[in-house]
Amino acid sequence: MSAPTPMQRPPAEVRYADELARLRERDTAARPPGWALSVQAARAFIVGDAKAKVSRKFVGDPSLIDRALISLATSRGLMLVGEPGTAKSLLSELLAAAVSGESTLTIQGGAATTEDQIRYSWNYALLVADGPSTRSLVPAPLLRGMAEGRTVRFEEITRCPLEVQDTLLSPLSDRVLAIPELTGRDAMVFARDGFNIIATANTRDRGVNDMSSALKRRFNFETVFPIADFDTELSLVEAEASALLRRSGVTAAPRRDVLEVLVTTFRELRTGETARGDSMDRLSAVMSTAEAVSVAHAVGLRGWFLRGEPGTAEDLVTCLAGTAAKDNQEDLAKLRRYLEQQVTWRSGRQWRALHAARHLLPG
Amino acid sequence: MPVTFIGVRHHSPACARLTARTIDALQPAYVLIEGPADLNHRIDELLLGHELPVAVFSSYRDGERRHGSWAPFCAYSPEWVALTHGRTAGAELRFIDLPAWHPAFAGRSNRYADAELRYAEVMERLCREFDVDNVDVLWDHLFEIGADDDLFERLAAYFDLVRGTSAAGEQDTAREAYMASWVRAAAADAGDRPVVVVTGGFHRPALAAALDGPAAWPTVPALPEDAVGGSFLVPYSFRRLDAFDGYQSGMPSPGYYQELYDSGPDQAARHLIEQVAQRLRERRQPVSTADLIAARATADGLATIRGHDAPTRADVLDGLASALVTEALEVPLPWASRGMLRPGSHPVVVEMVAALSGARVGRLHPGTPAPPLVHDAGAELERSGLAGNADLDLDLLDPPDRERSRTLHRLRLLGVPGFRRDAGPATGVEPVLREQWALRPDAGRLTALIEAGAYGATLADACAGVLAERAATAGRDVDALAAVLFDAALSGTDDVSDQAMTDIEATVAAAADLGALGRMLAVVLTMWRHDRIFGTARSATLGVVINAAVRRILWLAEGVRGGPAPADLGRIAALAACRDALRYADRALSLDRAPALEIVTRVAADTGAPPDLRGAAFGFRWSLAPGLTEVEGEAAVDPMRAVRSAFVPGSAGDWLAGLFALAREEVLHTEPVLALLDELLSGMDPQEFLVALPGLRQAFEFFPPRERETIAGRLLARRGLGGSGRGLLRGAPDPAVVAAGLLLDARVEAALRREGLTGREEADT
Repeated sequence: MSAPTPMQRPPAEVRYADELARLRERDTAARPPGWALSVQAARAFIVGDAKAKVSRKFVGDPSLIDRALISLATSRGLMLVGEPGTAKSLLSELLAAAVSGESTLTIQGGAATTEDQIRYSWNYALLVADGPSTRSLVPAPLLRGMAEGRTVRFEEITRCPLEVQDTLLSPLSDRVLAIPELTGRDAMVFARDGFNIIATANTRDRGVNDMSSALKRRFNFETVFPIADFDTELSLVEAEASALLRRSGVTAAPRRDVLEVLVTTFRELRTGETARGDSMDRLSAVMSTAEAVSVAHAVGLRGWFLRGEPGTAEDLVTCLAGTAAKDNQEDLAKLRRYLEQQVTWRSGRQWRALHAARHLLPG
Repeated sequence: MPVTFIGVRHHSPACARLTARTIDALQPAYVLIEGPADLNHRIDELLLGHELPVAVFSSYRDGERRHGSWAPFCAYSPEWVALTHGRTAGAELRFIDLPAWHPAFAGRSNRYADAELRYAEVMERLCREFDVDNVDVLWDHLFEIGADDDLFERLAAYFDLVRGTSAAGEQDTAREAYMASWVRAAAADAGDRPVVVVTGGFHRPALAAALDGPAAWPTVPALPEDAVGGSFLVPYSFRRLDAFDGYQSGMPSPGYYQELYDSGPDQAARHLIEQVAQRLRERRQPVSTADLIAARATADGLATIRGHDAPTRADVLDGLASALVTEALEVPLPWASRGMLRPGSHPVVVEMVAALSGARVGRLHPGTPAPPLVHDAGAELERSGLAGNADLDLDLLDPPDRERSRTLHRLRLLGVPGFRRDAGPATGVEPVLREQWALRPDAGRLTALIEAGAYGATLADACAGVLAERAATAGRDVDALAAVLFDAALSGTDDVSDQAMTDIEATVAAAADLGALGRMLAVVLTMWRHDRIFGTARSATLGVVINAAVRRILWLAEGVRGGPAPADLGRIAALAACRDALRYADRALSLDRAPALEIVTRVAADTGAPPDLRGAAFGFRWSLAPGLTEVEGEAAVDPMRAVRSAFVPGSAGDWLAGLFALAREEVLHTEPVLALLDELLSGMDPQEFLVALPGLRQAFEFFPPRERETIAGRLLARRGLGGSGRGLLRGAPDPAVVAAGLLLDARVEAALRREGLTGREEADT
């Protein structure tokens, strides 16, 4: 075998293979049937454990992880809901890697997702030649997860049509999948211990497709919130943006006071409430931490490649228009109103610069 | 001299059990308790046999400072257990802390509030270390669940750790020095017999370290010369004790902890799940048996992985939330962070918190001395001759009558039955100067006054307390807030607490309805400018409200979107009130005109804003601008241009309604504008005119009859016609007759045209 091809982003079980191995070694607690780790070790994998040299991978309430893991150990699926950009998919990947040691049994939901991509399909050449048999059967993630006792991830489930979502009903409640084309023992695939489903859904997508209440009942819902603590979010944005800038060949680190203004702006437009307590309209665009990082990246790029210095508040205004407000006129108006009225009462050089640069908004 | 220091967390069942066990085992000579020392000669009052929870309410007032604070006790308060078990053991009971009015308690309204807030940094580190969400969860995890074996040592280690890393503040240092002097005196007096000291755990290390020193009974600080104050017992409630409901309230969920104290964690968990299911089913929310099984299973599972023998509060809550909430949450679960329940919480979560809180309300033993409010109110009623049966007609301009009116309003606001107002001013703007009251002595008067005694020692203080609470609960309801402010004026309550002020500002800052905000600002501004009757003219409180409302109205005005729609008089009035505030109060309240003018200039020019608002915004600017030559480099106001550009036949009336509401005077005194309006209106074809007519009628309503007459007169003059404006206005006959006339005109014209008679006639003339 040659050396593995470098991947842009290896799955969690590869990225953190050594941490998982260490946790497995030290894991003495009882494991739920079919699990690769005990619940305690799986929790440590996600929230971090300094003693076992396991890094903290998810910033959020530890109780959320507890509830998610317990849900997976019971007979209900786990549904992670929340605003876009709140690291739901990362969390589902980490949970799958911790529970099953593998996070790649993934169904990506979309308007074009069909039952074939969820349950199984056929190798048509073999099907025509031999008729239906286990040889001509091509298992999809759900069938594999049930047969092998693994965690199946279903991303963006509400982007699928309702009837496709309902494919999950009997696997979740009866823990069995029927293959009517086959006969005998092969016609029924019973789920082995360790099988469960982690689904994710964006709250902004609720308009696309709803979920049937029958399916809702079979899931425990967990809402993932944006980072509650300002300093935590600021540090995260600073770290991520600095890393991105370095990869883009920018040697000037982002200015902390500009980042403070950026993160405050994002948080206020996201929650619809200023630090002083005024309530405002939220933007319809996504103001997630991930978006904040990408704006910080763009601000740094502008500053560096246009002037050879770290990004300023003027760059921030320009980038906000493109990245945050996009082409939505209403959002642009909200952003303008924010810059006009909610920036003036703050002290600080960068806030004044932001106010002065408000004319840079297009339109 | 054996002194046992028990460091406790206030309102902790585990600490209460430890205190009871220790006192029962040691049979001490003295039990010293963190509590107001000025109450020592009245400890018997506490032990009369009340229904808990009760609280010691202390009030204080001097020339510059007013302070009210509570020391609440419930059945599982370690301090309460120390009192009851100490009494049974025959020990001498002493409260050893400074009185509540002492400056060391400035700014604190609850003696037994959690001290964790003062050690936030180290608590955060501990929570991180144990991977728990917050201090309450950490406390339950460490102490409330599991065996009590070495609780004493574990508590000591915990508090030593927390306290050891940070210095106490000045206030805590003063209190600890005072408490230590009591401990030394009691230890010396007890000789060989044991002494038990029950204080907040954070004080324990400091007290234990100060055991050596002179031992003399300390004196209880006396009230300063010019001050009045005192402490007395009042009934309390679980709701007020709950941290989800108020500030500085101690441990959350008193109902749950009571159950935990009475019957242990398993029973408490089961009871909690039952309560939540019952409450939800009463509200017709579906809760299936499968859901409850899932909730219980999840709670047990969580308890297992978190290392608890039985599920804790957070385990049960997490289990219930997992199983019962089947959609995305708007705000995070309230027990994940500390503090009040946030608006937008999921209904299931709200019911869960209510079930945790419990509905228990304390009641005092009948033999308890009545709180001073009862005496104050009685004396006040006697003095003003209001005690008996009477029907009163009060003249608010007459000082003694005004004083009586205030007393009556205070009683009304405290909910004391038997005082009914039949007539009087209902808002701050109408000139009503008399009030009618019906006084009917009621058996419920005494009970109501005892309950209200928890708000303050005098009618004025209690009334201020009630109003502050109403301001806090107003939420985003501006009308409710306006009622509070007006009630404050009626009852002569002029010193509003800082907290209430913050709450009022928060309500205004979050208000979403321009109309309500405008109504409130109009009333408040009138009261601030003129009101000598209620003494609210130039009141600082109202000044703050005006400031906040002006800011908020301008913010909301810029956000209103929408095409042509019938004029919304509420929002026009809001802009008018805002303009008045800037016109009359800008210097006194340091309101800034320039940004306001910038905002209205933008609104006036914004094609996405509704026409009435654009008109009002333009009127706003016109009416304030004359004194101001330039607005950030823009040309001065040009009404001709503005009218021309805004005059779209369909929405002209709405635009004009906004303009006339704010700049009536300016329009009236600018001849060219009237001429232009005449020209534009005459230029409309009949169909357009009919469409615009209702809006136009509404717009011209803003002119009082005399001014309408002036306009009519000018119109006649422009057309070179004689007669008075009054005649033209009075001549407006029944619209049906006008319509019939128009129809006849049209028919005649059609006939003339048919016969080819129009052209020649025109040629002739």
